[in-house]
Amino acid sequence: MSTTPDGNLANGNGAASGYKWHKKYPHLGTGPVPADVFTSHEQFELERERIFKKAWLNVGRVERIPNPGDYFVQDLAVCNTSVIVVRGKDGAVHAFHNMCSHRGNKIVWDKDGTCQNFTCKFHGWSYGLDGRLKFVPDEESFFDLKKETLGLTPVAVGVWEGFIFINVDPNPIETLQEYLGDLASGLEGYPFSAFSTTSTSWTSEVNANWKVIKDAFQEVYHIAFLHKRSIPDSFTSKDNPYAHSLDVTLYPRHGSMSLFGSADYKPSPVAKLAAQHGEIVIRSDFSMDGLPAGVNPLRSEAWALDLNVIFPAFFVDVSQGSYFTHQFMPISVDKTLWTSTQYYTKATTPGRRFSQEYGNVIFRDIIMEDGRTFEETQSMLSSGAKKEFYLHDEEILIRHSHHVIDQMLKGQPVDRALAATGKEAAAHA
Amino acid sequence: MPEVRLPEQFRDLEQWIGWSLETEGERSDRRQASTMEDITAFYEAMLARMEEVLPYLEQFSLEELPDDAKRLFYLTLSLAEVAPAVEQFGQPSVVDGYDIKRFVASHR
Repeated sequence: MSTTPDGNLANGNGAASGYKWHKKYPHLGTGPVPADVFTSHEQFELERERIFKKAWLNVGRVERIPNPGDYFVQDLAVCNTSVIVVRGKDGAVHAFHNMCSHRGNKIVWDKDGTCQNFTCKFHGWSYGLDGRLKFVPDEESFFDLKKETLGLTPVAVGVWEGFIFINVDPNPIETLQEYLGDLASGLEGYPFSAFSTTSTSWTSEVNANWKVIKDAFQEVYHIAFLHKRSIPDSFTSKDNPYAHSLDVTLYPRHGSMSLFGSADYKPSPVAKLAAQHGEIVIRSDFSMDGLPAGVNPLRSEAWALDLNVIFPAFFVDVSQGSYFTHQFMPISVDKTLWTSTQYYTKATTPGRRFSQEYGNVIFRDIIMEDGRTFEETQSMLSSGAKKEFYLHDEEILIRHSHHVIDQMLKGQPVDRALAATGKEAAAHA
Repeated sequence: MPEVRLPEQFRDLEQWIGWSLETEGERSDRRQASTMEDITAFYEAMLARMEEVLPYLEQFSLEELPDDAKRLFYLTLSLAEVAPAVEQFGQPSVVDGYDIKRFVASHR
């Protein structure tokens, strides 16, 4: 098997691309995608009901609630609810609608904390960490109150590799493990816990549709242009000027893309200093020993990182010494809560911490370049001047994502055979 | 006599003490509020001493930095903060970037 960039990037100059990813996944076709999916209120309402209220949604990591009684609140405008995520006395993670059984008041108003009971501020009804209704003030004056039936309404919750997911469907049709499928099994064994002992996270309310933001982060075609100042030579090279990716794997709903990292990369003076004290720099030496099969799947020496896009709107992007996530929580058709988080092994030395801070600043500034396009794009989408958009072969994750959304909105089953189809096509290529 | 704020061998960096800031938010705010002239002067002064600064700081664990070394350490974090302004953008803010004031850090 070829592990050099040459083998994978024979058509890297883009003159005759070879339509590599289209050939691997021909069922997605080559046609344009409609423009109104980013602005249609009807579309958004369908996405709410048929995607976000049915899917497993990431709400954070277990490190945020290490001890029994630790909790945080995730407001989920797109699911018309707010959810309490809590570590129970049993040590397990539980989730509940953040709503009192008495007359519906939102129980927890702060973002996070630690408690023994959740007590409603309105009339003092009190619930245990397991959601059971424990105390009702002046209970004798109620009529036929059956406290055992009046606990907090549970929300399905699952934990994978330390990532907490919830599903507001009262009867999810799949377990979290089934939902994540082969994407998850390919990543298991990556040191997520070891790399999550500290993190840096930013949030912004963006005036753009969630798919505008998602799509901006799931293709590499933009790198040579939008990021020409920040990372001019990290993902592109003389032989691969358009940052063509190393590999793409599509799953029934999710998708992964393995990104080329350039040997031409010339570190700046401060990048060199940072590289002496840490690993949070693109293209530092790395070992492929012990990486799970789903990370750098081609075992390429020209590997930078992998995008792992978990449907509908959560990214787990892994590299050799750290990983980062993007989470997009829709608020309305043209408003989205964007959160990006970079995870590290906690530094114990000043040099390591300096190196991480450099990685932190570089990451933040790069995604500031991405961020500018979100509202600029949305502001023009609302003009309706364009009816459809044309996708590059390297934009196949976008094509796939729109295909899956379309299927779900039409109530069609997802393509269970998709991964197999892709493997077959690759084998015949 | 003004209070000595940095370790003795790094007194030449005292004039940059205003960049000794604990949180990313403070460092980012200072970068955004500074002129390129100031940023570049700070960057050059720090860069010229980093080969001595980092080994000096590495004598200590992160949790046990003496106060003067901690101030010096915060200067290195500000160097990390301003590096892209000097090395990549040629201006304090990201060229054609999203409004950083709207990108709210939940960490320190």
